[in-house]
Amino acid sequence: MRTITLKGRPIVSGHAEGLALVSLKPISFLGGVDPNSGILIEKSHDLQGKNIAKKILCFPNGHGSTVGSYVLYSLAKKGIGPKAIINQSADPVIVVGAIIADIPMIDKVDIKQIETDDEVEVDGKKGIVKIRKK
Amino acid sequence: MYLTAEEEKILNGEKGWAYEVSMKILVRLGDLFNADRLIPIKSAHISGVSYKTMGDAPIDFLEALVKADGKVKVSSTVNPSGFDPDYLAKRFPREYQERQTHIIDLYKRMEVDTVLTCTPYYLQQSRQNWHLAWAESSAVVYANSILKSWTNREGAPSALAAALIGKTPNCGVHKAENRQPNILVKMEANPRNEAEFGALGIHAGKILKDEIPVFERLTNFTDDDLKQLSAGLASSGMTSMFYYQKPVAQNKIETVSIDGKGMKNAMESLSTTKKPPDLVFIGCPHCSLKEVETVAQALKGKRVKSETELWICTSRHVKNIAKRYVDIIQKAGGHVLCDTCAVVTWIKNLGFNTLMTNSAKTAYYAPTLNGVDAILAPLKRCIDVACC
Repeated sequence: MRTITLKGRPIVSGHAEGLALVSLKPISFLGGVDPNSGILIEKSHDLQGKNIAKKILCFPNGHGSTVGSYVLYSLAKKGIGPKAIINQSADPVIVVGAIIADIPMIDKVDIKQIETDDEVEVDGKKGIVKIRKK
Repeated sequence: MYLTAEEEKILNGEKGWAYEVSMKILVRLGDLFNADRLIPIKSAHISGVSYKTMGDAPIDFLEALVKADGKVKVSSTVNPSGFDPDYLAKRFPREYQERQTHIIDLYKRMEVDTVLTCTPYYLQQSRQNWHLAWAESSAVVYANSILKSWTNREGAPSALAAALIGKTPNCGVHKAENRQPNILVKMEANPRNEAEFGALGIHAGKILKDEIPVFERLTNFTDDDLKQLSAGLASSGMTSMFYYQKPVAQNKIETVSIDGKGMKNAMESLSTTKKPPDLVFIGCPHCSLKEVETVAQALKGKRVKSETELWICTSRHVKNIAKRYVDIIQKAGGHVLCDTCAVVTWIKNLGFNTLMTNSAKTAYYAPTLNGVDAILAPLKRCIDVACC
């Protein structure tokens, strides 16, 4: 199995391992993700119908209402939040959401090198992502 | 970012979780936006109230803050809610009423002044050079541009965190060097009324994005016209402020022109139908005392049609001091509503399909956020259409 190590910018510390769920589109948590299931519901999104629960969620950045941060908190509290977040370039909605929900987060990572279902290990403190290709 | 010993203690959780998580938000955002330190603020204005806009999203986090005994450290106000308690509340399901009341109560328990308005500047005049942490983008642009206060465009959680700590990261337009205009907008035609000032804002906001414009040759405007310009700019663009008088000593900057044709197109693009409205709405952003007076004067000797509703939305504060105008409006069949507005309530559920307004911001948002057709027209025309 091929392993890649990427270095990004640490945003929220913490360690997580899991399967990647990768999107090339920005995610709006308010209105875009069902807060009761963790399923992405935004129409014509590349993750529409996919569940973000317990995934290493990789996407370029957040967009939309700043209330989206609160949705991340609620998801995490219900145990259906992502295990970690990897962004191309962090924006305040996702950063604040990850802080309050205590979700390890890294940005400035080339997410195109990660594919859905790759095994990913995230070190939020050092900003290191280890990817074991599927 | 430099933190004082006291700020470090809060960050390490010595003052409890509510302040720890708030400090984490401010410090992390400060780091991301190259702030050198935290600075004290005079007030905070928090968004994230309307149950229509957010549903249950903020409840878990707000409950956790209340449980951890979080209380605001500076004068803090909040945005409008999903309904007013007098006229609209009873027209919605009990569940909506309970959830909305619960959200407001959580803010109250954090000692936020739950006055529920998007125009906090009518309650408490903010002064020149005061640092603030305001969400509600129309109020941010108004504060920076007309009141000459200093605030970034905060989000719902960052404004709340700033309220709990009483500070905000020193970055963005809190720094003088970031408040310089960088684009000149030459007005070849002057907007003629508040609706056109708002339409100018929507049009310019799309062109400018986050640049700081200076509008040259704007004449004959009131603070209420500039409020509409602020709301328009904030809705379609990311700017935090504008200038409407040419600042002295200015470097040569990029120039764009807006002519009569551009203004006309901007106005026309904000109306989606020619059908008669079933709701006429004045009060986005919430009406000033002067605007309530203007509505009352325009309604003299008139009566609102039975097939149309007329809503005048304002803050509880303004409604209280505008009592004699409120009486005139109500006698003519209009409704003066506090705590809410047509955008943050469920107008579609109330059976409305076509909304007429003098607010370009509302006309811009209502088709998508409320699923209704919109017609943009100046106040006098709105009142004429609403009446027999």
